[in-house]
Amino acid sequence: MLQLERTKEGNKDILRLIGEVDASNSVLLDQSMQEILQQGATFLLIDGNQLGYISSAGLGVFMSYLDDFSEQGIQFAIFGLNEQVTEVFKILGLDRLIQIVPDKSTAITLGNEP
Amino acid sequence: MIKKSALPLGRISLFLAILVWLALLLVDLVRIFGMINNLDSGVSEEVTWILEILFFIFIYLVYRRIFWKNKQSDFLTLIWRGVSTGLFAASAGLLTEVIYLALGESKIGTDPFLRNVFYHINFALTSAFLIFITLLWKHLILYQKNKQVVNQWQVFEISLLGALFFVFFNHNNLDYSFLFGLTILLVISILLAVNLKWIPYLNFKEKWKTLLFLFLIMGCTVVLFYRVLDSGNEGNLQINLTDNLFLLALFGFVFVYGLFSFLVTLFNLPTSSVFEQKLTEAINFQKLSQSIQPEESEEQVLDILLDSCISASFSDAAWIELNPKESFQVKNPLRFLDESIKTEIRSLLPKETQSWVPASMTEAHQAQSIRIAHANYKSALMVHLLVNKSLLARIVLIKEVKEGFNKEMIGIIGTFARQACISVENHRLLNQAIENERYQEELKIAQRVQKALLPLKLDHPASFDICAYSNTADEVGGDYYDTYQVNETHFVLIMGDVSGKGTSAAFHMAQMKGVFQSLIQLGIHPAEFMNKANGALSKCLERNHFITASIFEIDTINKSFCHARAGHIPTLWYKAAEKAADFISIEGLGLGIVRNPSYKNHVQEETFEYRSGDILVLLTDGILEGRKETGEQFGYDRIKIIVEENHQKSPIQLQQEIIDALHQFVGGDGMIDDDYSLMVVKFK
Repeated sequence: MLQLERTKEGNKDILRLIGEVDASNSVLLDQSMQEILQQGATFLLIDGNQLGYISSAGLGVFMSYLDDFSEQGIQFAIFGLNEQVTEVFKILGLDRLIQIVPDKSTAITLGNEP
Repeated sequence: MIKKSALPLGRISLFLAILVWLALLLVDLVRIFGMINNLDSGVSEEVTWILEILFFIFIYLVYRRIFWKNKQSDFLTLIWRGVSTGLFAASAGLLTEVIYLALGESKIGTDPFLRNVFYHINFALTSAFLIFITLLWKHLILYQKNKQVVNQWQVFEISLLGALFFVFFNHNNLDYSFLFGLTILLVISILLAVNLKWIPYLNFKEKWKTLLFLFLIMGCTVVLFYRVLDSGNEGNLQINLTDNLFLLALFGFVFVYGLFSFLVTLFNLPTSSVFEQKLTEAINFQKLSQSIQPEESEEQVLDILLDSCISASFSDAAWIELNPKESFQVKNPLRFLDESIKTEIRSLLPKETQSWVPASMTEAHQAQSIRIAHANYKSALMVHLLVNKSLLARIVLIKEVKEGFNKEMIGIIGTFARQACISVENHRLLNQAIENERYQEELKIAQRVQKALLPLKLDHPASFDICAYSNTADEVGGDYYDTYQVNETHFVLIMGDVSGKGTSAAFHMAQMKGVFQSLIQLGIHPAEFMNKANGALSKCLERNHFITASIFEIDTINKSFCHARAGHIPTLWYKAAEKAADFISIEGLGLGIVRNPSYKNHVQEETFEYRSGDILVLLTDGILEGRKETGEQFGYDRIKIIVEENHQKSPIQLQQEIIDALHQFVGGDGMIDDDYSLMVVKFK
């Protein structure tokens, strides 16, 4: 079961993931991210505070946008992940390609860094 | 199959009939000769009667054969044959009259022999006609058989048989017994004459034709009857062949049944269209209820349905609206009206009927009769077609008269609509079932193919033991393991995991195997292998997919292994010396995430030395993430503990321990929702 909530704070688009991302609903995540990008986002944050689990399908979704982010100069970060989920990102090595920060405030300050 | 005798019974009977007729003629001529010359011809009456009876029987056999051969002919063809026989007989009779009128009192005109010949000819033709028509009436009476009718007919036939031989008792005198016999036969004829069930099946045109034919048959009958009476009164004859109970009974029967048929056909003319209508409705219903053939489409069913509804209600115009969600189109949605009028009328219909959400189930099943205030059309009938609880289409029928749709029409149209919906539903369900079956077959094939991709035997030397196990979540999966012997002292082990599960993961797993089997022959080191593998796989992985892998190159001489990890679950290493197990920590990004040469900066290799008794356990995340009902995962720690506690066991036993523990942990209500695989290596 997955719920997605979109909010905007200033120039930042925030997508909150609630529940679990697996093969059956990863397409919803994909669609959401597609929409956000099409609307010309420049700074995308993923709120993972209520994300209990993410499968390889979900990881695949994030990974497939990495090229788009770097080509279009979009800043991207994930915050609020629990230990288990963070571990999953680390084992795969995605933590070296995606900024994973502990909380929202850190994520927001990322944008202010030069 | 019973083979009918090859004897042409019909021909034989015809031949015999003609023979008998000639004998009759001859006997009579002899008798006349005797009478003229005042000699006793010595030929008794009985001879003539016997010949006459034989003649009737043979003619009966000839015609019975004809009827048997033409059993399948329609009524009209057979009736027409009767008419032609009758016309032939009647015209022969009239011609005889005319000839004798012309001949007058001339020598030839008064010659008894000639007269006798003509008499016999007319007798033969009249008998043939009567017997043919009798058999024809029999065919019609017994068209719809039931026990009662069959019994009645048999009584009649027996009575006729009796009448045939009656001549021996009665000598053709018109006395009371004769009249009594005739009356009985007439009464039976009348009883039989009510069996007219073949008449409603004729259409309007056929009924008119039948009226004509029956009229002609009765006309011929009357003409022939008068001729019989005439020649009977002539007194010139020695033997009266025609004052015969049998023949007169046939006259009666033919006339009575012909008259009844004529009247009933006549009175059925105005109502014949109702019967035809019912027949058409039944045929349409049958067409709708047939399964949709592979060449047909749902559109054709709707086409037939629209036509059927129009004809059942005698509508002046109609159209069908298809739910925009449907993928097919109806070629001619409008019948007998154009788009502009349709739009006008559409706007006059209730607003709720514009939407495609059925308000309630029962409402939607019925046909709705609506009054509309349009210049030309005054009443409409709206029919909803429900398939699998959603509205497939709407049919609107319109008529120029007010309240043009009666209860019966609404009923039959409702039946048609329901049947069409059932046909469409069945068609869709059947297609789904076929697809599912095909899909299942494909999966089975894929399963077989994939089983062949995992090694049956794991290459290893004497210096270590190894075993492996893999289980797919679906019929096919994305886990992979393999071994490769470089030379006598170098062995490569690899375990891989394609993201996701199911058929697309299985395809990528096959690609992974190909990549491994090719690259490993180049004798390259683990990090370089991962780099080249990444390059190869980047070209063939789908957009959202990646592959994780762990590779070990074991050197049995130096007792070391070189290891690289591309995003895969860390390998557990039990060190015998420390009696403790730990997960090997080494950086490495999964394959297919960075699809360019910079990948090589994201992967590394490291060489480690091993000791006797050390154990390596390679896993995929399916084992790690197997969880209980509470959501708790099996996790790294449990695996660590199991290996530490069972380190003395052989790889097979250790493997079993882990798998058993996993299943026990997950229990009945938990889930291992992924492929899971395991490889255990124990150094001796």
